[in-house]
Amino acid sequence: MTTSPRRRFWRYFSTYAFWALMTLITLIPIWWMLVVSMRTRVELFGRPNLMLSRIYLENYSNVLTDSTFQRYMTNSLVVSTANALLVMILALLATYALSRYKLAGRDNIFFWLITNRMAPPAAFLLPLYIMFTRTFRLGDWTLFDTQLGLILLYCVFNLPFAIWLLKGVVDGIPIELDDAAMIDGAGLWGVLRHVIIPLAAPGLAVTGILSWIFAWNEYLFAANLTSVVARTITTALAEFVTVTGTNWGELAAMSMITLVPSAIIVIFAQRYIVMGLTFGAVKE
Amino acid sequence: MKKCFTIVLLIAFALVANMSLVSADDMWWADAAAPYAGTTIRGVSESTPPSNYVADVLAAQFTELTGINVEFETTSWDQMYSKAINDMEANTGIYDFVYIEQDIIYSYLAQDYLVNLTQFAADNMDLASADYDEMAFTSFADYFKNADGDLFGVPMEAFVKVYLYRKDLFEDADIMAAFEEEYGYPLAPAETFEQYADNAMFFTAYGEMMDMDLWGTTVQGSTGHPASTYEFLESIGPSFGLYNWGINLDAGSAQSANGGALDGDTAVEALSFWLSMLPYAPPEATSSTWDEVASSFAAGRAAQGWVYGENAAWIATDESRSAVTGNVGVRLPVTAPGVIEAAQMGEGYIGYYDGGAFGIPHSSRNKEATLLWLQFIGQPAVQAEWAAAGARITHTATFDDPLIAEQDMKVDGYYTLLEEQGPLFAGAPPFPFHAQVREIIDPFIQRAILGELSPADALSQAAMAVDEELARLGYGM
Amino acid sequence: MRNPRVGWALLSPTLIILLIFGFAPFLYVLVVGFFDWNVFSAQDGLVFSGLDNFRRLVFDELFLTSVGLTIRFAVFAIGSEIVLGFVLAQMLTRNFPGKSLFRIIHTFPLMVAPIAVGAVWRLLVIPGFGPVPYFLDRWFDLTYQIGSYPDQALMTSVIMDVWHWTPFVTLTMLAGLSSIPREPVEQAKVDGANRLQVFWYVTLPFLRPVLLTTVFIRIMDAIRTVDEVWMLAGGGPGTRFSGIYIWRVTSPAASADWGYGSAVSLITLYLTIVLCWLLFIAISGRRKGEVE
Repeated sequence: MTTSPRRRFWRYFSTYAFWALMTLITLIPIWWMLVVSMRTRVELFGRPNLMLSRIYLENYSNVLTDSTFQRYMTNSLVVSTANALLVMILALLATYALSRYKLAGRDNIFFWLITNRMAPPAAFLLPLYIMFTRTFRLGDWTLFDTQLGLILLYCVFNLPFAIWLLKGVVDGIPIELDDAAMIDGAGLWGVLRHVIIPLAAPGLAVTGILSWIFAWNEYLFAANLTSVVARTITTALAEFVTVTGTNWGELAAMSMITLVPSAIIVIFAQRYIVMGLTFGAVKE
Repeated sequence: MKKCFTIVLLIAFALVANMSLVSADDMWWADAAAPYAGTTIRGVSESTPPSNYVADVLAAQFTELTGINVEFETTSWDQMYSKAINDMEANTGIYDFVYIEQDIIYSYLAQDYLVNLTQFAADNMDLASADYDEMAFTSFADYFKNADGDLFGVPMEAFVKVYLYRKDLFEDADIMAAFEEEYGYPLAPAETFEQYADNAMFFTAYGEMMDMDLWGTTVQGSTGHPASTYEFLESIGPSFGLYNWGINLDAGSAQSANGGALDGDTAVEALSFWLSMLPYAPPEATSSTWDEVASSFAAGRAAQGWVYGENAAWIATDESRSAVTGNVGVRLPVTAPGVIEAAQMGEGYIGYYDGGAFGIPHSSRNKEATLLWLQFIGQPAVQAEWAAAGARITHTATFDDPLIAEQDMKVDGYYTLLEEQGPLFAGAPPFPFHAQVREIIDPFIQRAILGELSPADALSQAAMAVDEELARLGYGM
Repeated sequence: MRNPRVGWALLSPTLIILLIFGFAPFLYVLVVGFFDWNVFSAQDGLVFSGLDNFRRLVFDELFLTSVGLTIRFAVFAIGSEIVLGFVLAQMLTRNFPGKSLFRIIHTFPLMVAPIAVGAVWRLLVIPGFGPVPYFLDRWFDLTYQIGSYPDQALMTSVIMDVWHWTPFVTLTMLAGLSSIPREPVEQAKVDGANRLQVFWYVTLPFLRPVLLTTVFIRIMDAIRTVDEVWMLAGGGPGTRFSGIYIWRVTSPAASADWGYGSAVSLITLYLTIVLCWLLFIAISGRRKGEVE
């Protein structure tokens, strides 16, 4: 396998040219978002200019110093993180049960679990609204407009995805390892702690990360089922569109800011994402 | 040291001024609210400047006076509707007051969602503020009343959709000469539809010739949003003499064969004219909703157009958002012959008097505290500054306030127009099925904009679809 | 040795949450679908109407358009995403300096909230402030107005979706590719298979579960799409996807026809489930072969 320097050069050149192009395509919309976030409202119109004319940070400072923005941000962080943790735990237990126990109608249960993600969310808004405001009510407290409500509700679309993803991972862990641990005297928790969790770690990590991103980005439920206290950051984005004009600059600034937490997570967890997303593909 | 002294003096002045202004009232509010101090009332509204002023300024003042907390949710237009209607239909009692867009009021009344404010205040005399007077509102309040004249919402914002034009263009000597040479009569803000069309054509050609981003008119023609149907039914239609969406409520029909007018000649003429303006509108017109029309105009991309009044003030004065400040002319919208006269006699209207009010849902559990709050925002004392912040006027007295008189100069007499000509405009027709039927008409208007249907076909199909829907809803023949 | 009761106990929290927040609303929608319930109608509350809603749906031109559009959208978008994602994943299996940087940049779109994606694409494509129509007009003399041409609106939504979700597909494909054992590939090469044959007879069968799962997830999400496309074009022209259509029918801002809206969602859900069931059988059929 000797390749001439010339061929090597062309191979590198084509690889880098290709990726440079992909990077450009990927970044143009994000770049445009950045450009818009650094323009005043008057500058937005007229002949489009793809370059940053100057560093104008007022949109950012307006958003960042707004106390409601800080509340929304906190809510988003709490809801997504709690939801991701909850989903990781529940999905691990559920997949372990589905994988290791002979449960009646196992395949059907699995399929039913998955179908929960298929439901068009718009259709469920009304029943969920009624449930949140009237069914779950204790005196003056209702599930409506609480972080808890969103944390539980987001399981509906995150759990199916997580279970699906983990099912393959847990199925791929040889059952003999469980048995060996049990012979050594480990109970159920011991098996989970010492066998399943370490081996499923990449899968669990990716489950958590993707659940976190899905929860972080969710809009429709958050918009309808919160009011003031538990509103999340995505609902704030829609508020910029008003009858007296859309404040695109601040909208873009806020979008850029909301991108930061997920970007940090994904950059640090990049390795796990690829390792974890195997969906039970054959492992050697 | 000197600076310090000045500040102290200023604070002292402010304190004295405050005390002398409101002390007697203060006592009354505090007394009346005493049983409810500490409660929290919640409301929902669209996030517009007037609403934000209520949330940021008035709510704090009210809480300080009364000890009643106001939790105010400002959200997007769709969300505001969803939340209010879900809350009232499901009877959850989440909200103590809701924003009522003028056009939805009759639906709410028909469903008996709202508390009769006139009645409720009369039943609770100890809660009735002396400063609050239902009669002091402009004619806009008439569109929040039931058949007996009882009020169901305290008007919080009101605007009329006006004709805006660019003074710098219309008064430019060279442009005026060029126009007169081409069309044989002097350039002026349009008073007839022919003139409007000439202006639109002229400025579009002018923009092209000068390589400027300038077109002759705005069109609120979004093909993915109800805004286009609204512009046609509420602004263009009435100015041609097509009233109440061409729906004859008594006959339960929109078809002219049954007494409706949606597929009649007037309607077809109005739609044809409006669509004929599309080529002379900026290319974003087919994606434009109300706010984008205003943004286009503010960016200097249209020489004239129909723009909602809530935007007139900022387009004319706010340099941080508008490129045409100081050059905005305001006039009544163009009308067909006889339409103004009919409106003056009360037999029609020339455009839409839009805006909204705050009302109390029946499901509210803090009606008394909320009544105090609504009276607080309905009293004359808070109106002028609110008007300055949000360009909205709901009180007849507000027009005379020096603050508004000063603003009026800058917006080319928009407020004077609102005061004097306001009654020529009308709220939405008293349909209990407003949004539902508008949704039925939407696709036909949108397909007409796309050119898939001719105006006549679009309207006759729309009228048929409306009749079907009316029958399904139980209002039909 | 393994007591099923323990299994049920482990499964129960998941089942309880999904029964309450997934299945109960579904039952509600299922019941309401057989009632006439419109907030703005003359009669109050719910009136049983049997199959009326479903009968009406068959002749509802807008609903049928929305189904047709959703299918076209899904086919174009998911098809492009799979092909593009596979090619990109294949490129990423090679080693070259700076690979992880490119991979990280490539995953950026995943992190942008759908509603922000819609907003930024709207800013890109709306004439007046968007650079896309401006430069298309300047350089190629093309008229690009998503408000005026339904096909352009649909294609813009597809491109937006491809931009947003291809990274997801790339990642799953990459995971799939990197778990393919080396020996069969080497063996096939030794046996004289060319690259296409290796791909077809070795790589693809190994990739099948990943491929189907990815398609499955993308289908579910494409049909649910509301935020992005709503923000981009408000749902029209040519972009009335079923998610948006359902949202508009049931949204009180528009019609609040809850009975009919429920029927529409039930049918949409039913169609999705049937489609996914077929895919599911394809996947699990393969799985059973492996396990037993």
